[in-house]
Amino acid sequence: MNTSLHRLAVIGAGAALAGGLLTACGSSGSDATGSGTPVKGGTIVYAHEQEPPCIFGGWIQQAYISRQVLDGLVTEDDNNAVKPWLATSWKVSPDGRTYTFTLKPGVKFTDGTPLDAAAVAYNFDYWENKGGNSTAKVSMDPYYKSAKALDPTHVQINLTSRYTPFLTLITQGYFGIQSPTALKNHSQQQNCEKPVGSGAFTVADWKHGQEVILKRNPNYTSWPATAEHQGPAIVNEVDWKFVADGVTRYSSLTTGQSNVVYDVPTTDWAQARSKFDTTLYITPGKPVSAYLNTIKGVFTDKLVRQAFSYGADRKAAVETGFHGVIPYEGNGAVSQATPDYDAAAGAAYAYDPKKTGELLDQAGWTGRNSAGYRTKDGKELDVKFPYPAGAVINAEGSTVLQVLQQQWKKVGFNVKLIPATQAEVFSGKYSGPDAYDATPFYWTSPSPSILWIVWRPSTTADPNGNNESFYNNAQLGQVINGANTATDPAKAAALYKQAQQIISDNAATLPLYDQNSTYATSKSLKDFWLEKSQGEPVFSDAYFVK
Amino acid sequence: MSAVTLDTGPTVARLSARSGVRTARTVALKVVTAVLVLIAAASVTFFAQLLIPGDRATTILNLKTGRAQTYSPSELAPVKAKFGFDHPVLVQYLHYVGGLFKGNLGTSYTQYRPVTQVIGSEIVPSLVLTLLALVVAWVLALTVTLLTVKRGRVATALGSGWESLTASLPPYWIGVVLLVVFSVELRIFPVIGGDGVSGTVLPVLTLAIPLAGFLGQVTRDEFEKVLDQPFITTARTRGMGDTAVRLRHALRHSVIPAITLSGWALGALLSGAVIAENIFGRPGIGQVLVTAVNTRDVPTVSGIVLVVAAVYVVANLLVDLTYRLVDPRLGARS
Repeated sequence: MNTSLHRLAVIGAGAALAGGLLTACGSSGSDATGSGTPVKGGTIVYAHEQEPPCIFGGWIQQAYISRQVLDGLVTEDDNNAVKPWLATSWKVSPDGRTYTFTLKPGVKFTDGTPLDAAAVAYNFDYWENKGGNSTAKVSMDPYYKSAKALDPTHVQINLTSRYTPFLTLITQGYFGIQSPTALKNHSQQQNCEKPVGSGAFTVADWKHGQEVILKRNPNYTSWPATAEHQGPAIVNEVDWKFVADGVTRYSSLTTGQSNVVYDVPTTDWAQARSKFDTTLYITPGKPVSAYLNTIKGVFTDKLVRQAFSYGADRKAAVETGFHGVIPYEGNGAVSQATPDYDAAAGAAYAYDPKKTGELLDQAGWTGRNSAGYRTKDGKELDVKFPYPAGAVINAEGSTVLQVLQQQWKKVGFNVKLIPATQAEVFSGKYSGPDAYDATPFYWTSPSPSILWIVWRPSTTADPNGNNESFYNNAQLGQVINGANTATDPAKAAALYKQAQQIISDNAATLPLYDQNSTYATSKSLKDFWLEKSQGEPVFSDAYFVK
Repeated sequence: MSAVTLDTGPTVARLSARSGVRTARTVALKVVTAVLVLIAAASVTFFAQLLIPGDRATTILNLKTGRAQTYSPSELAPVKAKFGFDHPVLVQYLHYVGGLFKGNLGTSYTQYRPVTQVIGSEIVPSLVLTLLALVVAWVLALTVTLLTVKRGRVATALGSGWESLTASLPPYWIGVVLLVVFSVELRIFPVIGGDGVSGTVLPVLTLAIPLAGFLGQVTRDEFEKVLDQPFITTARTRGMGDTAVRLRHALRHSVIPAITLSGWALGALLSGAVIAENIFGRPGIGQVLVTAVNTRDVPTVSGIVLVVAAVYVVANLLVDLTYRLVDPRLGARS
């Protein structure tokens, strides 16, 4: 049951697609199978890429690191089953609106505060009502109602209606439980830099611009059911370094300066697989796909959206651009690692330039100007395509877009690629219906209920800023809501798939590739693994061998 | 703020009360100018950041989630109230400048730390890197120039070729090559250097090599001209050796343009250090600046610009002083 990722990596040398998780292992060296004497203690040096502003927050960069310090109520195993963590068991009422969690008794935060039902209830209220974590909030809205401590070890979460994905969603790092004492009494800066949890590590020091020093919590008692060993962390310390440059990051591993590195450059991937233990994690949730603006510009016409989708060989461009490491994703709604993924939607819109021509003719874009672009009533077929360059669309992703741009040109689209800086993206310069015709983004989530977050119709009473195709389809909203509230898992799956079909049929988004994270680990480090919900690294079981 | 402003006339002054007053006035004028320059720098940065399209409150909300979307006014209102964006811009500005005089640079929008603390924890490794890079660049530039200028066609060509090459190399490329050669292949220096001694060598070279090429080119041009001057010929006719002529007479004259450039270079190195910092995983103000610009952390960006401006001002004061050491004519007049 609890096959952890690294074990899969060892078993499934090559390309096992286990529970949507691609793992790959290097051709085994002599010590690959774990010969060598385990040692206690030591320091794991981990080279990560981005430095978040605070340890805890609603960004995946924060979930990665807060997972080391905070424990969650429940966790997810490699088969997408929800497993005990701080909650040893739970009961769901027949109407699906009340969850009663039984907490592991005697657990304490590292500041001595008891981790009891009141503490858990306080955290739910903090995320939902006090701005504690906007991603936690958006994952529960509008189903969350209240949290109540029944007695020290029983906490009750009340929902406004049945919400089947609830348990899966709270396995993400955004739902890490913090000490209410610290949240109430510490300054905002203290809680930003050194959040207090019950986790396997504590934040000892944050040398900004350099590293976060995580020290072993010797009194750790609350490991998840998916843990590889019982007890506190085996190593004494994890040095979580921020190394922005990919060449440097990978070189730190090859020279032995670090033990684990994040995001191996795809050009080094083949070598990494032969020299190190490697993991390729395909992130569930919305893949990297472009929102197509359905209320303004050329893509208001469904035929043009479909023509655009057929008009370039996205599969070949992705495979070339990422050196065969990162898979093409044909389903723009959810990635192949997401439960209830619809493969049929993923197979739609294979490259067919002839079909593009027919659809454009049908849509009235029959003219051609001197540059070879299609025209309609003297207007050129222009597509404004800003993309978040850097952390979201890296250099390889940009290459893919440029290749596609050339192919779209041949079928008559004048695609204007605009690399947008992080500052521009976050400030909303390229948000809103006037800012683009197409723009790519991803959103990680362990559940297909991400469809609700992204595609819920936006109404005046309840606007949905996440629906960035501005695609308001009431039927789609009903289907997703039906899936979210279905009692029967099979029915929920059928509805989620139907929702993916609707999105694909209407070409409301342009699929590109899967969001992912890659890791390479030196062979002297064992039992390093990634948790399932969004690939947060886990160091509490890891140990060195001599 | 060049040497010319000090050139107050040909009067040869003895140590007198008048000259004391004049010196005090000059110093006071310089200090006031410096403060004005700093306030101007902070103000321009403050307003420039408000003029950029996009909204600060939206950025703060998006940063918390790693998303890029728009929000309704009711979602934005609490953020605006919390950070004081609901006040008129002029009020926000006066509040900011008022804080500067109290040594308060504001609080980071993203890290919730005082900006003085954000900068304070990163400025030392940056200054070390910058100053060492400048020193090393000078040593490299002078060595190459002295050894090759007007030393026959081959040596001259080698020297000026080396300068043109290094001056045009992008620092990122130099950094990666140094990393691969000295850290990955030869393993002499660590890949992720931090701010330790062995970790400082390669970042310093990354910044120093192109600067050395640049300083060398300027010095060489001047050196060539100076060596043709009559006073050099006079010195040689007195029987002075070539090395002595170069070191004692020609060098003094030919480094003046490079000294002028060093004031600029110091500021440019500090703000451009981010490339070396990124490649070698070194902490520093450059990284902080890039992150702050990316996250529209207005107080942090303004604070760093202020610090860089201060470095420019101090560097230019030092340049003025250095002129007098190098060129005694300037010292005699003031």
